[in-house]
Amino acid sequence: MMNQKRPANSMKAAGMLPIVLFALLGTQAFAQVDLSGEWAGRIHNDAPERGGGPDIGDFTGLPINAAARMRAESYNPSLLTVPVWQCRPHPADYMGGRAGFNIRFTPEIDPSTQQLIAWHARAAWMAQERTIWMDGRPHPPEEARHTWQGFSTGKWEGNVLTVTTTHLKMGFLRRNGVVRSDRAVLTEHFFRHGDMLTVASIVEDPAYLTEPLPRSVSYVLDTAQQMAPYPCEAVVEIPREDGVVPHYLPGTNPFLTEFATKHNLPLDAVKGGAEKLYPDYQKRSRETAITAK
Amino acid sequence: MGNRIVARRPKCLGVATLGLLMCISRNAESQFGPEPAPARPVDAKTAAPYDITGYWVSVITEDWRWRMVTPAKGDYASVPLTAEGRKVTDAWDPAKDEAEGAQCKAYGAPAIMRVPGRIHVTWVDANTMKIDADAGSQVRTLHFGEWKTSGGEPQWQGDSIASWDEMIPSRGGLALVPPSREIGGQKRGTLKVITTHMRPGYLRKNGVPYSANAVLTEYYDLSREASGDTWLWITTVVNDPQYLNQPFITSTHWKKQPDASGWNPTPCAAR
Repeated sequence: MMNQKRPANSMKAAGMLPIVLFALLGTQAFAQVDLSGEWAGRIHNDAPERGGGPDIGDFTGLPINAAARMRAESYNPSLLTVPVWQCRPHPADYMGGRAGFNIRFTPEIDPSTQQLIAWHARAAWMAQERTIWMDGRPHPPEEARHTWQGFSTGKWEGNVLTVTTTHLKMGFLRRNGVVRSDRAVLTEHFFRHGDMLTVASIVEDPAYLTEPLPRSVSYVLDTAQQMAPYPCEAVVEIPREDGVVPHYLPGTNPFLTEFATKHNLPLDAVKGGAEKLYPDYQKRSRETAITAK
Repeated sequence: MGNRIVARRPKCLGVATLGLLMCISRNAESQFGPEPAPARPVDAKTAAPYDITGYWVSVITEDWRWRMVTPAKGDYASVPLTAEGRKVTDAWDPAKDEAEGAQCKAYGAPAIMRVPGRIHVTWVDANTMKIDADAGSQVRTLHFGEWKTSGGEPQWQGDSIASWDEMIPSRGGLALVPPSREIGGQKRGTLKVITTHMRPGYLRKNGVPYSANAVLTEYYDLSREASGDTWLWITTVVNDPQYLNQPFITSTHWKKQPDASGWNPTPCAAR
């Protein structure tokens, strides 16, 4: 009799095994830091640039090369009135790593394994959706399509989410014509500290940067945040003949000196370049008496 | 045949149970770390989940106009100042600071990690870390453990209490990660520093103020890049209800140097 009962109990116990195992597998994800929720950007640095917009000719703090500088100097902000540019979104490196737009993180969880497949990030401005794949999939081949948000994969390094993004479309590093090419690679580190999130980003661009560009943005968890829709419709703001693209030919932009003049800076200082990012440049600039009026 | 199957099931179940127990044990370790050894305290140097000692150089890709040069009087863009804070900023007088011997006002703890320069991080002892900054020749001392202030006059660098532990919000709830706790064989935690008891000073060179009641909270994070670069990311939160209408949050990055190249101690300058 006992022997006949045991199989029945064993079957029940064996039936419980998958449930217990699934539960255990699910809890492995608990060691990961949770990014889900609504995050409000804090613009406590470079507010004039990140908010209203940068001055024309302000290339400070950017390790750009001569090609990037020439391109930026030809930039005419009237370009943004051309219909095809009006609803143009910012790419991933500007959206989350510079602008500090309010963001919502949502995890995508496999319903059967409860493992994290991806993080989805929605930015308020231009309603951009970004996916960070967490399931170990490889990046697509080089010739694959480039998009505004690119192709992102993430991995946990301790408590830190590290994300690598490729296949970005060309976009602004600064909204005054300084661009990043579609060959760039973006690396991001998401550091969460309680209700604060620091997103550190490093852009490497063989076309326009002479060294990696590190920057960071801070967010604060905001459980009351409501993200509004962002419909965008292009209209003709300024009638132009077909094919006209606002620009300045090299050497003809009359506004390039305004920023330096306004802030009492030597023209060379505002042209950007890696050598001006380091404290040694400050020492040299002090010797040329750059001080406040 | 039926009896044989019945006879095998307890064995299978036994193996499965053993496997399950091993799985629970392994999973519990990966999730919560091994059971802590009772009582024996671990010093901060031993508990460090990462090493930030060495020389670091600031790379000024943010706030260049407010950091690399002394900004104009009244230029407090980006700082969430109260009306009183703006009034004090507008009254900035570097000559007065010089006359009072207060040239280091812009080199206090809430500002120094934002000042262009190099820092040298060392352990003084197992529970004390030191950060030398060549800008203004300032020295910060981070005390781990049970350190208590001896009081006295507030100083530019204040009293800093450091810890490696932090509440980590994780999927499934908050998880306390105490010092030296290992998860999946990896030490976790972030260097967190809280600084108080500071002499009032400037968040920026042009007189943007913080008061004696300001509280500075910092998080030091490390990243190692495929390029071979190592970066230190310092998230800084200044709480000062007198001059700030919300916590002032910035994050500043430092690149690891292999040696002391460029180390250039300078005195404080008020302008």
